[in-house]
This record gives sequence, structure tokens and C-alpha cells, in this order.
Amino acid sequence: MEGISKYFPENRVQANRNVNLVVKKNEIHAIVGENGAGKSTLMKILYGLERPDKGRIVLNGKQVSIHSPMDANRLGIGMVHQHFRLIREFTVAENVVLGIEPKKNGLFFNRDKSVRDVRSVIEKYGFNINSESRVADLTVGQMQQVEIVKMLYRKADLLILDEPTSVLTEQEINRLFDNIRELKNQGKTFIIITHKLDEVKEISDRVTVMRRGEVVAVKETENVDQKELAKLMVGKSVLFKLKKDPVSPGAVVLELKNVSLKLKRQERPLLDRIDLKVRAGEIVGVAGVGGNGLGELEDVVTGLFKVSEGEIFYKGENITGLPASKFREKELGYVPADRLNRGSCLDSTVRENMIITRHHDFLKAGVFNQKKISVFVNNLFKSYSITGDTSVPIGTLSGGNIQKVILARELATNAELIIFSEPTWGLDVASGEFVYENILKLRKNGIAVLLISSNLDEIMNLADRIVVMYRGRITGRFTNDKSISKALIGEYMMGVRNDFN
Amino acid sequence: MKLIVKRKKNPENIFVNIFSLSVTMGIAFLIVIVLILFLSKDPAKTIRYFFIGPFLNRYYFGNMLNSAIPLIFTGLGIAIAFKASTFNLGGEGQVYSGALAATAVCLALPEANGFIGGSLAILAAIGVGAVLAGLSGLFKMKWGTDELISSFLISGAVVLIVNYFITGPMDDPANNLLTTREIAKQYRFMQIFPPSKLDISIFFAVLTAFLVFFFMFYTHWGYEMRMCGLNREFSRYGGIKVKFYLVLPMILSGSFQGLAGAVSVMGTYHMSVKGFSFGMGWNGIAVALIARNNPLAVIPAAIFFAYIEAGASAAMIHSDVTFEIAAIVESIIYFLITAQALKDFIRYRKRRTE
Amino acid sequence: MNESGYYFPVIHNAVGIMTPFLLAAIGGLFTELTGMLNIALEGLMLIGAFFSVIFAASTGSLFLGVLFGIVITMFIALIFGLISLYLKADIFISGLATNLLASGLTVVLAFKIFGNKGVILFKNLPELPSLNIPFLQKIPMFGDIFIGHNIFVYLSWLIVIIAAVVIYKTPFGMRLRGTGYNPRAITALGLKPRNYQLAAILISGFTCGIAGAVLTLNLGAFVPNITSGRGWIALVAIYLGNKNPFGIVIASFVFGFSESFSNYAQGATKIPADFILAFPYIITVVAMIGYSVWKYYKENRKVF
Repeated sequence: MEGISKYFPENRVQANRNVNLVVKKNEIHAIVGENGAGKSTLMKILYGLERPDKGRIVLNGKQVSIHSPMDANRLGIGMVHQHFRLIREFTVAENVVLGIEPKKNGLFFNRDKSVRDVRSVIEKYGFNINSESRVADLTVGQMQQVEIVKMLYRKADLLILDEPTSVLTEQEINRLFDNIRELKNQGKTFIIITHKLDEVKEISDRVTVMRRGEVVAVKETENVDQKELAKLMVGKSVLFKLKKDPVSPGAVVLELKNVSLKLKRQERPLLDRIDLKVRAGEIVGVAGVGGNGLGELEDVVTGLFKVSEGEIFYKGENITGLPASKFREKELGYVPADRLNRGSCLDSTVRENMIITRHHDFLKAGVFNQKKISVFVNNLFKSYSITGDTSVPIGTLSGGNIQKVILARELATNAELIIFSEPTWGLDVASGEFVYENILKLRKNGIAVLLISSNLDEIMNLADRIVVMYRGRITGRFTNDKSISKALIGEYMMGVRNDFN
Repeated sequence: MKLIVKRKKNPENIFVNIFSLSVTMGIAFLIVIVLILFLSKDPAKTIRYFFIGPFLNRYYFGNMLNSAIPLIFTGLGIAIAFKASTFNLGGEGQVYSGALAATAVCLALPEANGFIGGSLAILAAIGVGAVLAGLSGLFKMKWGTDELISSFLISGAVVLIVNYFITGPMDDPANNLLTTREIAKQYRFMQIFPPSKLDISIFFAVLTAFLVFFFMFYTHWGYEMRMCGLNREFSRYGGIKVKFYLVLPMILSGSFQGLAGAVSVMGTYHMSVKGFSFGMGWNGIAVALIARNNPLAVIPAAIFFAYIEAGASAAMIHSDVTFEIAAIVESIIYFLITAQALKDFIRYRKRRTE
Repeated sequence: MNESGYYFPVIHNAVGIMTPFLLAAIGGLFTELTGMLNIALEGLMLIGAFFSVIFAASTGSLFLGVLFGIVITMFIALIFGLISLYLKADIFISGLATNLLASGLTVVLAFKIFGNKGVILFKNLPELPSLNIPFLQKIPMFGDIFIGHNIFVYLSWLIVIIAAVVIYKTPFGMRLRGTGYNPRAITALGLKPRNYQLAAILISGFTCGIAGAVLTLNLGAFVPNITSGRGWIALVAIYLGNKNPFGIVIASFVFGFSESFSNYAQGATKIPADFILAFPYIITVVAMIGYSVWKYYKENRKVF
């Protein structure tokens, strides 16, 4: 792939900027990078799901144009999506052959032949699934095998695996890697997207590192160690000049005791026995790479998701299992990661968005006091220097202004605990700094802050204590002082080190 | 059960709305003119009656406004449900049973004071509608039963049961028609525009539309309901009890359907006639759709609907086409109004020309 | 034994009455499987009813009548499908529009052609051929169910079998079902869900055209809104039949039987006919709620 560029006007993101990617025949090529580095977009372009703005794709020396997955399949390119594209109600064989079904008498679906053919593919490459079982009855790991078999059945020689290990257990990962090695022996080529460096080291031949839509390095896996990769991935430390007063934590505000979250049919828990305390006047940073339980932690501490095990306390009171509305009544502020869907209602006005958390305060006998709302909204606009009309749908504002609205709203509660999740993701530098200043102001005012973020710079700059999560578990706990380095935390985030296993 | 009814968010730009609505109406009327040219032996006359018939005399004009009354109520009922992204497809049964309930109360209290008895009759109609629709909301809340189909099915059964009461136990033995007895004089709404049937409840309907508007945009429940309708995730995040807003809008929606039945009985028919309210529930959906679920816009939308039907019936009486031509116009409006692509196109064109 | 010559005339009649339900429901099954709620069945059926009887009367041929009826119904279905799928209309609203269009168009045209919008009788309509084997019809149950019906009844059974084969035994059917289960999976393979949805709508137009023809050709007349809710009941039959062709046969029989029984019961029992007619709706609501309760506790899913 040469000089690929892609810009998404909807969310104003330059996903790929002049990217060159060279994959050699019969190698396992890893692409690593943080969330939003542009790995997935690049692969979608290769698989015909997105069209690039610029650049060309050369396959076996010939320039090709790929307009749809069908084109990609014809050229021998197959992709396994992070979120499987399977029909749960169908059998393995039916899923595999769908779209290029073998026929009987030129008209009917040849079930026997498809079962036979699929079974022979499964056996040839040593997978452990039954071609006649229903996909809904399979484990997540087996579903992934179905996806791979689907591509092999289509005679794919180049297989793209997007975050293949993110939902798998250790055993399933080992199994997957065995399959990949076996396939490589039989002449297949792989591109594996991941951000788990131990896996890169274990499975790949070469590795391309991406950051912010660009390729920053291409290395032979043998010649590079995980520490170096981690450094390349996260980039140089960007330290803002933030004035931090010495910490003087007060009483425990939020406490999680042994909290776990499991989903049905998924063997690996999304959260695994989490213990966590947040005190008044301190910022606790939870670091980790996406898919390791940060989002789930966010859902659980805000009451939007019920825990499977364990207990949550707010100022000593057990609030486990209470509905989200009760969490809100406890005066909890929450700036969510998903600010466009959860944090705001894009089709509703800025004004209506601003009052959602405390709209009860403006009621008199069930009717809103419009004047009071105007005063409230205008004050927040002024103090957070938000520009724009309060009566337009919030969806018409820029990302930075939307985040300011959310921030203003959540900080205006009299909360003693505020939870931030990815508070600066996708924001420009100025908006980001604005967010940081406000977080530090909260700390100064004795508010407990839980900062969940995959942006390590952010955590290092703000947090007093740092907790690192990897695969749903807390793998490291640190006090944020001179003794720790970004590289060290990075190693915990990537699963290179683990204090609790 | 899988449904792909899109729970759509409305673009709130009023100019785009009015512009696209005018285009829609224009196309619909154009098609109707072509249709009349094809169907009628004297097209000029038919077209004239179709378009200005409803304004020819007091009788036609008054009756047109009168038939808009129940449509305002049913339109409001549907708009409330849609605004909360819940679906009430049981309008037909709720209107019909509301009418029967009002009739039954009036007949049971032949001697009571008009105001007290009338209020009881209206309350009974509201109650029946609310319960019928509320059940669907409750099932949705409790177990996720799809309210769209359950409300339709409940309504289907209710229509038949009401038929039974009208033609069976409550049938008027004095005539051969399938009707109940007439309600007593003190329950009938005052007629305000004789010789037409237009009665005082039109003021009530307009007032109700304003009240619903106020409810939706200025009150606690209205705000929470709209937020739930637009984005349930956001509402839950904001601490709103989203489950409650699966039930409340259905209850309100059903109440208005029942109310439409009561005013039809007490204002226009003075009895329940087998099948007399058929179409009011469905037309309520069309009215809400044209009004983009805005309670105030429901008033002109309902009058517009009544206008098409009045025009068609004037054309039928004075010329040689049949009333059902109205249904064709309405269906074309339905089609055009829901074609999202068309709306996008218009919006796009408008942006380009600005 | 009675004068009709059948052991169970109620069952015999039910088999005849169920045919339009069955045909419409089988067509609706295709759209349902692609994930669309097709409420236009009612209107499509009405179009078929009107045009097939008119063409049959004017050409003097049943076959041509039904053929034209099907063609026009499929044309209306095509419009409905194009608007819903390619103009991105809400299929629910455009379905309502189709129903409204059908009821308006048929009456307007009837009035234009016959100057009458009530019952239109066609006197010189050819009679529907039916299968009569007197000695077989005397066999209890077998005779009631299988013998003495008109040709449409047997045609509908053939269509059910063909539908089952298409749905379960052909690649087309697999993709069709796949579209309903997970359109993203279909898209990921480079196929277009919309094409399968349009095909399903056309199929529903085809069967609804025949279903309508059954109503009018049997009666030898057109009555405004002759379908009187049969399309809606067919929709319910799809759910009650658990979205399976043979389940739909049973569900349609239940509806056919309740209508046949109510014809019979109006004279013979004290239960009011309306209650009997309401029974299928009530049963379906109860079944639907029961199903979701069961599913709720099985999956313990969270309803927001």
C-alpha cells in the first residue's frame, strides 16, 4: 500500500496520512498502535470497505483497485473483523459458504457438499470446530475460527486479523497462534492488528508501528524489544506546564471491593476482581489500552451496568446494584468517553443538554422555570467560555465545544466524586488543556476524581495515584512521583509486566 | 421479533420542514389533478369542487372543521407516543372503545346533570383508552414485548368486542340500524355553526393541543419523555428512569384516542354506530406524521386532512368521482412524507442554494 | 353425515377459508425473514382481488384474470419496495400508504368502470374448477381436508411447499434469512441486503395477488375492502406460526377454523360471533407475551 490517505469529514479525523505499508509474502506482519492510530481504517481500505482519498494498492507487483469485499476475496484477501460478522442462527458450514454456496442441480443449496468442503478446510488447517454446529452455541474463540475458515474457504492467501485476541482467553490465544503458525507453514500471509506487544513478539515476523494516522517505524520483530515498541507507540512524553499543589487526600469517597463483570458465553471476565479506592481531593488515574476493561469500569462505577460480583461503596454506603438514576441522586458527576451518544443528545438543544443532570432543580410544580434555566445556562457558557447559541441542537457544535458543555454540566453538580473517561480524546490541544485545568481545580477543591484514560500522558500529568489495567485485571499500582517512568507504566499497559499474577 | 421500523429523529429546521411539506403537497395535488382528468367527464368542475368545495357554504365548511376534531385528538395521541419513540398502533380500538365507554356512561345516567355525567363519560373514555394502550407499554417495560404489535392485536380484539356490544346488548331495539340508543340531550355538545355539525369541542381540541405542547416542552415529564425518545442511553446516563417512559407515553396516547371517541359521540353522532370511528386511529398517525409530532402543528395537519376528505366528498356530491379519491391523495402524501431520501434531497438543494 | 356430504363441514369449510390467509402469510414470511414488518399485505391482497376479478370477467379466462391480477399486484409491491428501500422511507409508514392506496384506488376505479361503489357482481364469470371425488370425500377427516376444494386451495399448498424449498434449500433462501438475522454479515460478504429485501417484497406481491384472487373469484363479485383485515391476520399468522411455512399452515388453519366455526356457531351456539372472531387476536397477544416472558427470563436481558 502506497501513500494512503483517508479523511473522515463526519468527525473531522485524518485517519491515515500518506501511509506506506509493505507486507512480504508468507510473513506475519503486525501493525501496532494506540486507539485511533489509523490501523483499522487502513485495513478497511485494503479490504474494500472504505475508499482511500489518495494512494494505491499493489498486490504481487500489479496495481489493483478494490471496491468491495468481493473484489478483495477475488484477489485472495480475507479479513476477520474484531466484531464478528456471523449469522448466529446458521451452522458453521452455512456461515462459511454463504455468498458462494455450492449448488445441486444448478438450483438448490448443496448442504452435504458444503459440510464436506468446510470440514476438509477445518481439518486441513487443524481447527477444532464442527462444521454442523450452530454458531450461537460456539465459544467466542470458536466463532473466530469460523471467521478464519470463512476466508480460507474463499481461497484467501492474505489474511487480515483485526484485534484477534481482544476477546479471547489465554488458552484460546495459544490455540489461535498455533493455527496461525500452521497456516503460515502452508503458505499464507498475515496482517495482524494489535496493541499487545507480547503477542507481537510471540507471533510476528515484522512489525509496523502507527501513531496518529502515520507510520512511525517498521522493524524486524527479532531486532526490537517490547520496551522500544512501547516507546514508539506512545511517542515522546508531552508534559504540559500544569501547576499541581501537593496532595492532601481526605476520606474515601468511592470504593470498589472485588468487583467482577462477566457476560454470558464469554469465558473471560471483562472485569476481574477489581479493588479500588478514591479519596477526596485526589486524582486516581486508571491507565490501560482500549479493550482491557476501562470502558467496563466506567459503566460499572456509574451504575449503568450491574456488576456480576463484588460491591461498590459511595462514602461508606453500599450502592451496589442500584439503578443509574439512584447513582445520580448521590450527586455523582460523570464525563463519559462516549460523549456523542451517552454524554449528549445530539438532536436536542444545547440548553436541554445542559440541564439533564440537574433538571429537577429548575422545576416548580412540575413546570420548568425558564428564566432560571437561562441564567444557569448563560452563566456556564460564560464561565467555560463556550461560544454559540443555546437553542441550536448540540450536534451542530464542534467536538471541543460539546465536551465543554458536558464538562460544564457535570462540574455544576455539587458532586463529591467526578468520573472522567477519556476526557480529551479527539480534542485539540487548547480544549484538552482546558479540561486539564478544570480537573486540577476540582482536586484543589477537595473533590475525588477518577480519571479513566488510555492516554498515558494525561494520566502521568494529572494523577496522584496510577492504577494500570490489563485484560480486565489491575496489574500495577503506583504513586505518581519521580520514581516511575512512562516506559514503565507502558510496559504494564501492554502486559509486559504484571505485579499480580 | 425483529422490527426495522426506524425510530427516527426529526430534523427540527422549520423552514426545511415547511418547504419539503409544500413540495409534498404540491406533488400530491398534481397527481390528484391528473387523476381527476382521467376519471371525470367534466374535470374542470370536479377539480373546482375538490379544491373549493369545502368553502362553498357554511354546511360544508363547518362539517370539515368538525371532522378535524377527532383527528386532532388522535393526532396528538400518536404524536406523544412517537415523540417518546414508542408506538401505539391500537388507535382504532382505543377510539372505538372510548366512544362506547362514553356512550355507556351517558346511557346509564339518563337523568344526571349534564356536566357531571358528561365528565364521567369523558373520564370513562379516557380510562378505557389509557388502559388498553398502557397495557402494551407495561408489557414492553416488563418483558420487552413489542408494543407496536401488541397494541395492534389488542385493538383488533377490542374492535370486535365493541362491535358485539353495539350490535348485541346495547343495540337500539327501536331501529334496524346497528347502533346504540341515543344519549340524552344534556350530554350533547353545543353546536356552534348551524346547519353544520360543528360543535363546541373544537375549542376544547385546540386548547388540548396547546396544553400538550406546554406539557411536552415546558414540564418535567415532557422533558424527560422527549429525552428518552431521542436518546435512551443519554437519558439513563442523566438519571432519568427510562423504563417509566415506556409506559407513560402509551397511557397518554391511549387517553387521547379514547377522548377522540368520546367527543365523536357527544359532539357529532350522539350514539355509537357500528364502525363509525374506523379510520380515525389510522388517520391520527398520518396527522402526527405531517405535523412532525409537533402538537401545535397537529391542528393544521388535522384540518388539512379533513379538507382533503371534505373536498373529495364535495366533488362526489356535485360531480362524477367518488369519495375514495381522498384515500389516494392521502396515500401519496404518506409515501412522499416518509421518503427520507426525498427530504435529504430537498435539504441538500436548499443548502446549496443558500 | 349431513347434506353437504362431509363428516365435518366445519373443518371442510375452514380449509377453504384459510387459503387467502395462508397465501398472504407465506408471502409475508419472505419479507419477515429479511427483517421487514410488511403491513402492506392487506393492501396488496385487495389490489389482487380487484384486478383479477375484473380481468377474469373481461377476458372470460380465469387464468388470464389471475395472471393480470398478479402482475398488477407485483407492480404495486414494486412501488412499495422501491420507495421503502431506495427512497429510504419508513417501511411501516409506506406500508400504511400502500394499504390506503389500495382501498382508494380499487373503489375509485370500480366507480369509474361500473358507476357503482357497492357490491359488483360478475354474472358470466367462469366457475372455479374444484376437485370432487364423491367416494373419497366420505372418508372422515381425510375427505374433509383434502377433497372437494377449488383449485386455489391446492395451488396454495403447492406454493407453501415451494416456499419451504426456496427458503430452506436454496442459496437464495439462505441469503434471505441471513439478511434478516444479521445484515452486517451479508454486507461483509459483499452482498446487498436491499436486493434480497426487494425480492421478498415482490414475492409477497405475488402471493397476495393470488390471495386476493381467491376472495373475489370464489365469490364472483367484488366488494369494497373485501379483504377486511385478512392481511393483518396473515401478519399475525406469521408470528403465531413461528416464522415457519408449516407453522403458518397451522396458524392459518386456526384462523380459517375460527371463521368457519363462527359461521356455524352463529346458528348453533350462544357465544357471540364477534367474541369468536376476537379469539385469535387474544390468543396471539397471550402467546406473544408468553414468548417474551420466556425469553426475558431465559436471557435475563435488560430492557432500558
